[in-house]
Amino acid sequence: MAGRGGRKPRNFATFRLFPRAGAADPNDRVFVRVDHNDYNVPGFADEDSFDSNFTADAADLHSSASGPLPEHVRREILELGFPDDGYNYLFHLRELRPAADAASSFVPSSTARPEPLPLDVKAYDASRVRVAPSADDLDEGKTMCKVAAKTAPLRRVQRAVDPDVARLLDESDFSHAGSEDEGLEEDFVIMANQAEGDDEVEEEDEELGNGIFSDVEEEEEFEDEPKPRVRRLLDEQFDLLALEEYGDSDDDDDRGGRDGDYELPREAIDELKLFRDQNGCVDEDYRTPADFVRGKLESTTADEVDESANVMRKCAEYAERYLNEPAEEKEIVLVSESSDESEVWDCETIVSTYSNLDNHPGKIETPGNCRKRFPRVFPGETATTNDLIKLHGKEKLPVDYLPQRKRNGEKEKKVKPAEALNAEKVKKEAHKETKEEKKARKAAVKEEKREARKAKKELKGLYKSETQKAQKVAAVTGPSSIRLM
Amino acid sequence: MAAAAVYGAGGAMKGGKLGMEGAVDMQLNRIRITLSSKNVKNLEKVCADLVKGAKAKELRVKGPVRIPTKVLHITTRKSPCGEGTNTWDRFEFRIHKRVIDLISSPEVVKQITSITIEPGVEVEVTIADV
Repeated sequence: MAGRGGRKPRNFATFRLFPRAGAADPNDRVFVRVDHNDYNVPGFADEDSFDSNFTADAADLHSSASGPLPEHVRREILELGFPDDGYNYLFHLRELRPAADAASSFVPSSTARPEPLPLDVKAYDASRVRVAPSADDLDEGKTMCKVAAKTAPLRRVQRAVDPDVARLLDESDFSHAGSEDEGLEEDFVIMANQAEGDDEVEEEDEELGNGIFSDVEEEEEFEDEPKPRVRRLLDEQFDLLALEEYGDSDDDDDRGGRDGDYELPREAIDELKLFRDQNGCVDEDYRTPADFVRGKLESTTADEVDESANVMRKCAEYAERYLNEPAEEKEIVLVSESSDESEVWDCETIVSTYSNLDNHPGKIETPGNCRKRFPRVFPGETATTNDLIKLHGKEKLPVDYLPQRKRNGEKEKKVKPAEALNAEKVKKEAHKETKEEKKARKAAVKEEKREARKAKKELKGLYKSETQKAQKVAAVTGPSSIRLM
Repeated sequence: MAAAAVYGAGGAMKGGKLGMEGAVDMQLNRIRITLSSKNVKNLEKVCADLVKGAKAKELRVKGPVRIPTKVLHITTRKSPCGEGTNTWDRFEFRIHKRVIDLISSPEVVKQITSITIEPGVEVEVTIADV
């Protein structure tokens, strides 16, 4: 303070609340000194301890840059599963504290239903299958039936959990209040909760395990179970109904299941054999009816040969018949011509009967003024005596041959005869033109151009609809660069 | 300097008062608590709590002085490319600041500030001689 000249004595200390480094809870804050004045405040004790910790870690880091990490740090790193490669992984870790809003911590709920199975996975609950202790008389069919009867397809799979853990979790569910309530946990409460969970699985069993296997087996199985599920009237009714519905098919399926292969009726088999023989094998060479007749190839049945011969004969008969037919019998078919009165054609239909080969319909175009653009009499033709085409102007255009802009009738006539007469005379006249005349001429030209522009715009506006239609057609038919609008 | 002298006098008086009452002989300091936040509601709540706490401890409190809000504007084009009508987004970021002055010992202040902790409110404490 005394050392600095001109500055006010800074007798204050500033502290700021910072969240503790590595802490999960953002509300866990400590005061940290942010200025460097000489003033000391012994009361604010946060920063002292904080600083020491901070500096200790900083010292660790600094030391790690130069040499190996201190032992306790290394041990901790190893315990967490990180490799011991000299890097201080603890720097990137933070403490996990139960936050007030619990936003950052995840506690899986034990009451939630487990996820449904993905579509390409099928799960079966085989916990009730009892493996027969005796290995003899292993009738495959029977064991299969038994296994199938006792396994139930599941829609949801619970994660495999240690039974102790599961028990503990269940207990924690029940005891929400303090330790007092733990004494109140009666057996019936626990059993009721457990039974509820099992009921779900049982119901699924009933619904889904039915189809193929008989209900009688399932009934027996339920009686075997130690679970105290009371058979309600509804269950009896359901079983009776199921027996009715599926009882008949049950017998068939059972029979089928026991016999093994399912045999087609004899008639069907015979038909199939006949079909196969008639159509022949694919492997053999191609056979024609003539082959059968001439006996070049083997034939299994005599019928075939006869049939082939028949086919050829029949073909010949038909051919003869059709050849000889038209000369004698002619059926007169009357076709009535359509008269104009009875049938009414509309434009579209009648046009559709015309072919483009014969008809070349014209295109409807915008009324073009292009014809008038080109002068009937090319002034250039009369003017040039020598076979030179003169190019005038900046763009070097053959001015004489170009279509001339429609000026006043007089001027046009004037220009034409003037040019027709003599090129030299025009030059002379140009010299005599004074500034004012030039100005007047230019002004006149300007005025003309203005009028022309106006007229063009007007015309464009008038025919806008036509251009739109034309654009539509051009868009389809013409090249994409055409832009009429 | 003059102000400091006046304050010093006031502090001495306060110290005298406390001595007469037989309270604990504490080192009194002028303490300025600056609270800043984006969120007015939280900020006002913290302010009110602090003032209430300080008054409960019978300290001299100079009520929350509201410093004018600083508004930081960010005006950007809405479009990620240059195409389209030139629409602009006007974002703003408001910083509210409150100042509370106390005269007490640092330990008491520490107690008070430890109780009322709200997320999103920045607290800065400046301790000076009385």
